[in-house]
Amino acid sequence: MIWVAQMLAGPMLWGGLFSAVYGLHGLGCALDWPDRATPLGPLHPGGMILLWLVGLGLHGLLVALNRAGGSETQRLLVRSGNWVGAVASAVTLLPVIVTSSCG
Amino acid sequence: MTEDQHAIAPNPPRKALLLHRQLDRVWSDLPGWRGTVCSVNHGTIGLRFMATSFAFFAIGGVLAMLIRAQLATRDGAFLDTQLYNQIFTMHGSIMMFLFAIPMLEGLSMWLLPKILGARDMAFPRLGALGYWCYLFGGIIILSSLLFGVAPDGGWFMYVPLSGKTYSPGINADVWLLGVTFVEISAVAAAVEIIVTILRLRAAGMALTRMPLMGWYMLGTAAMMLVGFPPLILGSILLELERAFDWPFFEVMRGGSPMLWQHLFWLFGHPEVYIIFLPAAGVLSTIIPVFARVPILGYGAIVAAILGLVFLSFGLWVHHMFTVGIPHMALAFFSAASALVAVPTSVQIFAWIGTMWAGRVELRLPMLHVAGFFLTFVMGGLTGVMLAMVPFNWQAHDTHFVVAHLHYVLVGGFVFPILAGITYWMPMISGRFRVRALGETAFWLILVGFHGTFFLMHLTGLLGMPRRIDRYPDNPEWEWLNLISSIGGMVMAMGFALFVLDIAMQWLFGRRSHRNPWRAPTLDWAMALPAPSYNFASLPGPGRDDAGAILPLARGEGLLPGAPRNRREVLVTDAGTGRPSHVAVMPGNTALPIWTAMVLGSFFLLMLAGLYVVTPLAIAAILWAGWQWGGFMGSRADAPAIQAAPGLSLPEHWQVRQTLAYSGTVTLLVADGTLYASLLFGVGFLTVIAPNWPAPVSGLGLGALLTAGAALSVMTVATLAARLAETRRATPSGAGFALAGVLAAGLALVLLGGLAMLLDDPRRHARDALRAVLLGYSVFHGVVALMLGLRSLCDARQGRTGSQRRGAAPVWQLFQTFWLTTSVLSLGVIAVQEIG
Amino acid sequence: MLIGSGLITVLVLALAGLAVWRGPRPSDERRWTIWWGLGFSMSVLAVLLAFALWAGERMIARDDGALQVQAEAQQWGWRFVQPGPSGPVETEGVLYVPAGQPFDIVLTSRDVIHSFWVPQLGGKMDAIPGHRNVHRLMADAPGTHEGLCAEFCGIGHAAMRFEVVVYDPAAPPPFVSAESLP
Ligand code: HEM
Ligand SMILES: [Cu+2]
Ligand SMILES: [Cu+2]
Repeated sequence: MIWVAQMLAGPMLWGGLFSAVYGLHGLGCALDWPDRATPLGPLHPGGMILLWLVGLGLHGLLVALNRAGGSETQRLLVRSGNWVGAVASAVTLLPVIVTSSCG
Repeated sequence: MTEDQHAIAPNPPRKALLLHRQLDRVWSDLPGWRGTVCSVNHGTIGLRFMATSFAFFAIGGVLAMLIRAQLATRDGAFLDTQLYNQIFTMHGSIMMFLFAIPMLEGLSMWLLPKILGARDMAFPRLGALGYWCYLFGGIIILSSLLFGVAPDGGWFMYVPLSGKTYSPGINADVWLLGVTFVEISAVAAAVEIIVTILRLRAAGMALTRMPLMGWYMLGTAAMMLVGFPPLILGSILLELERAFDWPFFEVMRGGSPMLWQHLFWLFGHPEVYIIFLPAAGVLSTIIPVFARVPILGYGAIVAAILGLVFLSFGLWVHHMFTVGIPHMALAFFSAASALVAVPTSVQIFAWIGTMWAGRVELRLPMLHVAGFFLTFVMGGLTGVMLAMVPFNWQAHDTHFVVAHLHYVLVGGFVFPILAGITYWMPMISGRFRVRALGETAFWLILVGFHGTFFLMHLTGLLGMPRRIDRYPDNPEWEWLNLISSIGGMVMAMGFALFVLDIAMQWLFGRRSHRNPWRAPTLDWAMALPAPSYNFASLPGPGRDDAGAILPLARGEGLLPGAPRNRREVLVTDAGTGRPSHVAVMPGNTALPIWTAMVLGSFFLLMLAGLYVVTPLAIAAILWAGWQWGGFMGSRADAPAIQAAPGLSLPEHWQVRQTLAYSGTVTLLVADGTLYASLLFGVGFLTVIAPNWPAPVSGLGLGALLTAGAALSVMTVATLAARLAETRRATPSGAGFALAGVLAAGLALVLLGGLAMLLDDPRRHARDALRAVLLGYSVFHGVVALMLGLRSLCDARQGRTGSQRRGAAPVWQLFQTFWLTTSVLSLGVIAVQEIG
Repeated sequence: MLIGSGLITVLVLALAGLAVWRGPRPSDERRWTIWWGLGFSMSVLAVLLAFALWAGERMIARDDGALQVQAEAQQWGWRFVQPGPSGPVETEGVLYVPAGQPFDIVLTSRDVIHSFWVPQLGGKMDAIPGHRNVHRLMADAPGTHEGLCAEFCGIGHAAMRFEVVVYDPAAPPPFVSAESLP
């Protein structure tokens, strides 16, 4: 059953990351973070972009470190799971670098 | 996996007829009316679900015809507005909650054990309970229409319109209470389906080799488990607001109407995929049969299911694009909504590829599959269009959306289900169908459907909003609506003919020979119509497809017959399918219907506003719940059962990882989701709702001490529950159980004391949320206490032993869950006090 | 977008039709699931999404000093406030806006959720009690447009309509002064 956990890891990571970024976005807009600047640029998009990149890094690790054994179908499923999560995180959170944050 | 190859030696062949008699005596329903009331057999319950949901489909369809008649002309002079509002609300709610969901529950209950090689679902009584809750809830909802007090706020019941101020009548309560009552059956079905798929597959059937239908239903059930709790929570909160004036959605006192929308759509969007996935499972089962080749891309399809299950929880805000959420948040959900089309497209192309590889026979089920393609593809594409914010702002809440949602629901659910019904009908009735009727029905439905909904896209783009009963100033919409209405009548004729076809098949069809479609899956490895016990002996490695029909009937498989005169099933390991133990199932009993009745009495009392009497109903529910435990546990260790030569397995009373244990874990996932939704509500209102911070609270040191004491005693109870299990073979076991029960009781008393100290929940949303957090804790305390008492009885009455554990493992699970959520809840309140 | 969807529908149905009418032929799993299933759908969606994000970004209201009007919804009618020569002017059921310049509507509600929609001018936006939504629109030429409430709001929902009068900024109606326009 370990392979099932490996298969679910990618999508679960997406779920966590998506909730975290979405939560951060809501919190930031409610607390007027976009107006606050840090030396590295505006706080709000900055924080979300950072979180996103960290998440993508974790996804990269998952994909790279995948050592699933077992039958061919099992390996295919684990690999697909990893990629489903990675692509989902990349695409659904892409707007953090594209759109304006609280407008 | 090498385990797959572990051969299991065959049992010696016997006379099939003798085995049949022996098994049928044990597994069949009681004769006469007692059979109706007492049946727990998955075949009976599954068919009942399907038949009842089809009846609700017909009622929903009649309401749809009324809608279409009203909209055919612009002055629509035949229904008044109030009635029209009730009718479209009831149409939507019936179709979603009383047709689609129960239909898929019924299909999976009826089919899963057959296609996975089992004799029954994992929790037969739970299935029956679910059915009665569904039936009673459905009747309550429906009768409101007769009394003219049906819900009228639209199927998503937006607040404040459905709040007490703007809907003072009983209408909204009918929806909230009735739908919640029905949802008991959805959660029960989800638990049952998951445990059945994971633990009752044929011996040696690894997950990676199970028929795709199993994967689809596993995905569906997982989504139901996580998708329904937000709706249930939302309904409870709204009913509390309506009944007791606790503000959660009212802006003046710190609530927000947006919370309802989030909770509703957190359920509502996944709901669409909950409906679609089983239908796609039917397609993945039927298409290879009629193309005469194996399905193409098994792994890709499983991966697509995985993607759908997760992604569909990241889309809900696309129903809220116009509520004034910042563009970035909209963009997240817009991107996710586009992405979710990818797994769908993978499946569609895998199906096309399968048909490409084979020679397709256009038999009747396959015609309905063609209907799916002709309809669903377009619905999916309009869905992608609606996911784009600029277009959504134009088309949202117009008849374009009405067209889209029917293309998806009828294309993605109704057509596949019709395909499934015609496909499995020989197994249900044991007969072939009568010629030509079915084809005519199909063409009428197809033509009627597109006649109704194709031009409706244009109606919407021309600006006609949904949910209006007349449009006197817009003659330009009239001809479009008239065409839609005519199309609707044609479709209705098609459905009537479909029902006639089924009835004719049942009454006059020729007797079918077995496996009429020459399908490969296990569901066809049985005589027709399907016997009450499915398999005379259970499939195993090398005997797990339709070809094994004769050896299985002769008892060469596992656990042949019913030599011990009780319902026995084989429980396997979740991943590999290695045999684990033999579970003994409950037989015919009236307990499910009694339990559903006392539950129903609670909902009816709430509906009538007789709140002072509800404690009686709650006591009755507890009493009924207590009876359920009576079947579990055994007074003596039983010898191992020989399932096949060289394969001896223990009975379920002597193992820890029982079906009940798996079921409780699964149920707690749903429960945990409900709790997480509640925490989401707390966070959401704190951050987003206007009129925060809340007024100063009256909590002080006394409350802190009480809470601390409650948590400490709860911890003691949890430890005692643990010890009660580990020391079960010694005399101290009963002592620990008693200590645990006393501690749990004391914790409940302390929680009650804490409730006295809370501020009036009617004052502000924060105070209302605190009361709910506390109520949640008390509720779980009561369940934990009941399980503790059950464990105590087990220990006292000698139902525990070195191997037999009684209810203790399940008690521990609940006790731990109670403790964890209570720590979190009281922690949240503490943080609010400090912050 | 409509045409694109139509083409895709025809393409998919043609493939399905071909699969049925022509007999069995070799069918490669990778080609169907990877190339068609993933590749084709993802490229189409990427283009669509990029366009939608770009268009959406242009539609949002910004603090750039555009003309602001207020719309307050209640069961079942609309009250508008627009700038006049001597302070704000309130109207019921009719909104006056100048042609050729973007304007922001500030939406609020006194009771339940309503939604402001003028099909000919563009997208809709909800009016929600306790919230204040800002929606940007623009009318190109003078004229009169019909507006309606798009969110179901009870018995009077179907009749909850209003009118938008778009005037020539050079000749504003008497109670709207040219000076008050930005
Ligand atoms: C039998 C053929 C059907 C017809 C002619 C039909 C017709 C309609 C029409 C005209 C509306 C719009 C009402 C309005 O906005 O005023 C509607 C709404 C709706 N329909 Fe159907 N329908 C049919 C089948 C179904 C099925 C099979 C489902 C689901 C499985 C379904 C689910 C819904 C839902 C959820 C709504 C939205 C209700 C609301 O706005 O609250 N319909 N239907
Ligand atoms: Cu959706
Ligand atoms: Cu309105």
